Amino acid sequence: MTSKSPLFHEQTARQRIAALVDPGSFAEFLPPPERITSPYLAQLDIPVSFDDGVVIGKAKIGGRKVYLAAQVGQFVGGAVGEIHGAKLTGLFKAAARDGVPCIVVIESGGVRLHEGSAGEIAIAETMRAIFECRAKKVPTIAVIATDIGAYGGMGMLSTCCDFRVMTEHGRLGISGPIVIEKWMGKKAYDSSNRALVWKTSGGKTKYLLGDADALVHDRAEAIRDAISGLLKKSSPVTLKAVKARQAALAKRLKRFGETADPDAVWKGMGVRDVAAGALASGPAFAAMAKRGK
Amino acid sequence: MEKFTKAFPSRPFASRTAKPWALAGVVGSGNLEVLLEHVGKPGNRMECHVATSIPGYKASWLAALSDFASNYPAGGTRITINDQGAPPVLVNLRLRQAFDHLVKGDR
Repeated sequence: MTSKSPLFHEQTARQRIAALVDPGSFAEFLPPPERITSPYLAQLDIPVSFDDGVVIGKAKIGGRKVYLAAQVGQFVGGAVGEIHGAKLTGLFKAAARDGVPCIVVIESGGVRLHEGSAGEIAIAETMRAIFECRAKKVPTIAVIATDIGAYGGMGMLSTCCDFRVMTEHGRLGISGPIVIEKWMGKKAYDSSNRALVWKTSGGKTKYLLGDADALVHDRAEAIRDAISGLLKKSSPVTLKAVKARQAALAKRLKRFGETADPDAVWKGMGVRDVAAGALASGPAFAAMAKRGK
Repeated sequence: MEKFTKAFPSRPFASRTAKPWALAGVVGSGNLEVLLEHVGKPGNRMECHVATSIPGYKASWLAALSDFASNYPAGGTRITINDQGAPPVLVNLRLRQAFDHLVKGDR
């Protein structure tokens, strides 16, 4: 890893893909000149984008063929509309059909409210396609590396994948911090408390709880290395695995369900020095958690 | 939304392209995306299609695009813009970025 390479969270969707894959191997599906744009945004007289906020295509990582998608967080918050969602669905369906691993770099608040029902259906269809992949043991990997993170339907979609690679800049959840505060009250959850927000939805906590499978540096090389390692594995959906997961979640709820202090969760999960953990880099934190420091 | 199309005289695009299109920028608040395509013909005209969320600034757009067409050899290209309120200086920057990407490839 060189310190000169750009930070992954500062790169654009196309730069991220180019940095993750073997040089020059990416071929985009439905590229901008095809102008497959949202009919809903056009009806509402809102500017459209040539790729509808998601870049999809095929490439190679370490010589192995992969399908990739990367969301554009700056276009309507990376939100999923009908076209955007159809591109994701098609990509995962192709992955299942061809037996090619599929990677999605998520940067999205979830469904695009301007085309709510179409977006919801698209996300559901993509989830179904992900489970088709998993049934065929075709690896599916979500990368979550920015503070836009993976929320709403995209948060759920990320947890349908075999594996999640996160950085400490990544966030994963269903409702965002402000939504939780509006619903539960400021006493229950103060969205202006950054430490609280990051210790409940940030990459470090998600790694501790087992929701993220790798916690890596904010660089494309580190993320690519994590992906390469995970491409060799898959996490099949079996009754036994689902029951084990449900039991683990029940245990987590029993253990931490009444806790208002995120530090208690960190301690409970084996981080003895919370202050040092908060300052540690992602990989250093992961090592601390493993050693029980 | 305001939409308009206009072609500007420009010197022929001479360089070989890394790929036939380049994209610069993103449709976000105060930003725009520029799609620059090498279409070849007519070789001495730069064809522009603009869609902007802020109506009433056509004169500024035409000035910025005309300026670019006279400063760069953009004949034989088609420029399509999705704009969400970018200031003229940013329009100019994105046009130059797209041109640079078309000539040298994406980075």
